Amino acid sequence: MVLLPMAKNPPFRRVLIANRGEIAVRVARGLRELGIESIAVHSDCDARCAHVLAADHAVALGGDVAADSYLDFDKILGAAKQTGADAIHPGYGFLSENAQFVRAVRDAGLTFLGPNPEAMDRLGSKKSAREEAIAAGVPVIPGTEKDLSDEELVKVGHEIGVPLMVKASAGGGGRGMRRVDRLEDLPEAIAAGRREAKAGFGDDRMILERAVTPARHIEIQVIGDLHGQVYSLHERECSVQRRHQKVLEEAPSAVVDPDLRQRMGDAAVALCQRVGYDNAGTCEFLLDDDGNFYFLEVNTRLQVEHPVTELVTGVDLVHLQVHVAAGGKLDDLLADRDLTPRGHSIEARICAESPEQGYLPAAGLLRLAHEAKGPGIRVDTGVYTGWEVPVHYDSMLAKLIVWAPTREMACTRLSQALADTAYLGIPTNIDFLRRIVDDPAFRNFELSIDMLDHRPELAAGPSDPPDDLTLAAAVLAQAVAPQATGGGSAASAGRAAAQSTAIWQDLNGFRSFGGRR
Amino acid sequence: MKVRKDIVRGDETVPVIAEHVEGDRWRVRVGENVLELGAHALPGGGVRLVQENGDDRQVRTVHGVAAGQDLIVRLDGRTHKLSPPAGRGPGGSAGGDGMILAPMTGTVLKVECQPGDTVAADQTLIVLSAMKMEHKLTAGVAGTVQSVDTEVGGTVEQGAILVVVEPEAQNG
Repeated sequence: MVLLPMAKNPPFRRVLIANRGEIAVRVARGLRELGIESIAVHSDCDARCAHVLAADHAVALGGDVAADSYLDFDKILGAAKQTGADAIHPGYGFLSENAQFVRAVRDAGLTFLGPNPEAMDRLGSKKSAREEAIAAGVPVIPGTEKDLSDEELVKVGHEIGVPLMVKASAGGGGRGMRRVDRLEDLPEAIAAGRREAKAGFGDDRMILERAVTPARHIEIQVIGDLHGQVYSLHERECSVQRRHQKVLEEAPSAVVDPDLRQRMGDAAVALCQRVGYDNAGTCEFLLDDDGNFYFLEVNTRLQVEHPVTELVTGVDLVHLQVHVAAGGKLDDLLADRDLTPRGHSIEARICAESPEQGYLPAAGLLRLAHEAKGPGIRVDTGVYTGWEVPVHYDSMLAKLIVWAPTREMACTRLSQALADTAYLGIPTNIDFLRRIVDDPAFRNFELSIDMLDHRPELAAGPSDPPDDLTLAAAVLAQAVAPQATGGGSAASAGRAAAQSTAIWQDLNGFRSFGGRR
Repeated sequence: MKVRKDIVRGDETVPVIAEHVEGDRWRVRVGENVLELGAHALPGGGVRLVQENGDDRQVRTVHGVAAGQDLIVRLDGRTHKLSPPAGRGPGGSAGGDGMILAPMTGTVLKVECQPGDTVAADQTLIVLSAMKMEHKLTAGVAGTVQSVDTEVGGTVEQGAILVVVEPEAQNG
């Protein structure tokens, strides 16, 4: 990678990572490769979280809930000052899209490894982002642009026609959002949406849009520098979603051809250049069956699913973020590179939740974290064996990402890697992810954003009881490897030590069956 | 070494008894079914399981943990939570069937019987120390001691079968 020479003369000495878990670990690794020290911050319950162990320095913020820790401007800027940080990486979530925080970072004399706050403001609300998109000539879903009264909304609704989406102007995460299939249901949907939006964000302004259905979620990764240059790093498809939360993400999309890729990339770049965007960002679109794409919104941050783009384009997005934040030109690094997607990459989000039981999230002791290994397998994890998953933050534990030359091989590889992954002690969605990846609809890339709503059996899973071998295996797993019980007594620790010695002594027996395969 | 766990499957409770044969070979009774398996702890965690079918040897990796009373096992890419019958741990003391199991992980303080002894139901056979407390394990059934699979000072896992008593014949 052309970027590594940067490590000889890194533009920053120390970067504070204002985040936790897997993304903070991933950012710390990227910084270390560039010769930059990382500073972790952590809440009380996160004192021994994986990201604290991965960083060069750690500062306790105190508190547990996000408002008292990872969302507290003063604490984070205080930690930066105390440790002599010269820049802040926000990760995703928490303060990553908070323009006010970015201004506070600037005022403290530090560099923010993310977009400028002026561009964030212009893309921050769905309504203003839509207006910018229209002005940039980017296709948007037919709908309303202004604040309208209930009566006006109903009138416009009749003009657009059903199916319609009623959305909160300030909304996100699906709250305040409703689909209307019959025009007579529209007034009630607007009223209900307003109530939900008022309660959710204290802002009951509503917009109407034509529902694009069936639709795929296709997004374009962009990266901009401070010299007005914006590159498209092409699409990711994130159509497998549940309640607007992505479940599986891949790059490239099986339905995006080079022509469509070019047009969507051009649209994303035009929008970003219009608002003076810099650093990493993602323009989200819906794609219908006829190949029409419609702008949804811009995520002004590095995203959860960024690794699939890294694996097919060969760039390191954290390295690029550092480069552009330091004033570097993208042309210097990317102009001579072929960024055409190579092969296929899929990411599965491993979460502490039980799809089999209504997606109930779970916190608690992760008694075993065993990750898959092998060619083309990347695991971005924020947990380890013995980690107590706190109740205060989101349920994502790790991301399992695979690369293979073709989509079919990537699916097979992901299925196998999911089977080889064992996170035990709290419920996870691993078996659910594997059922989706093995499903004929997924294999034939028959994807749409409401796919999981129509396929409840994928969440429910099989109900057949465990067979005799499974019962025997469960008991043997305890009998043979008592150190895996997490019992924690001095006696069992002593036995665990004795056991691991025994493993080596018995290796001859192990070889005898290994050799026959 | 012999370990017993009672596991609920559907409407039935299935006794699972794993008996160490030699080396890495185990004989596991699951209800009426007897499975001959090779089992070997792997250095990185997990257990390599070998099942022989004639000339074919099927090799799998199983991961398992105990969470409270439950066993959680991952085999062939599927996770199962296995629970004991309500009111009794996966191990547990004499259930009246002549098997005296360690109710918890602990150290054996006393062994008060040997094979061939005739014992009464309320007779203490083993004294176990765990969590700084002494636990007396009784025969639970009158009969003859068939085997004793522990010794003073030994540590035992929860569910380990310590003594087997052959119940005396009902009409005897």
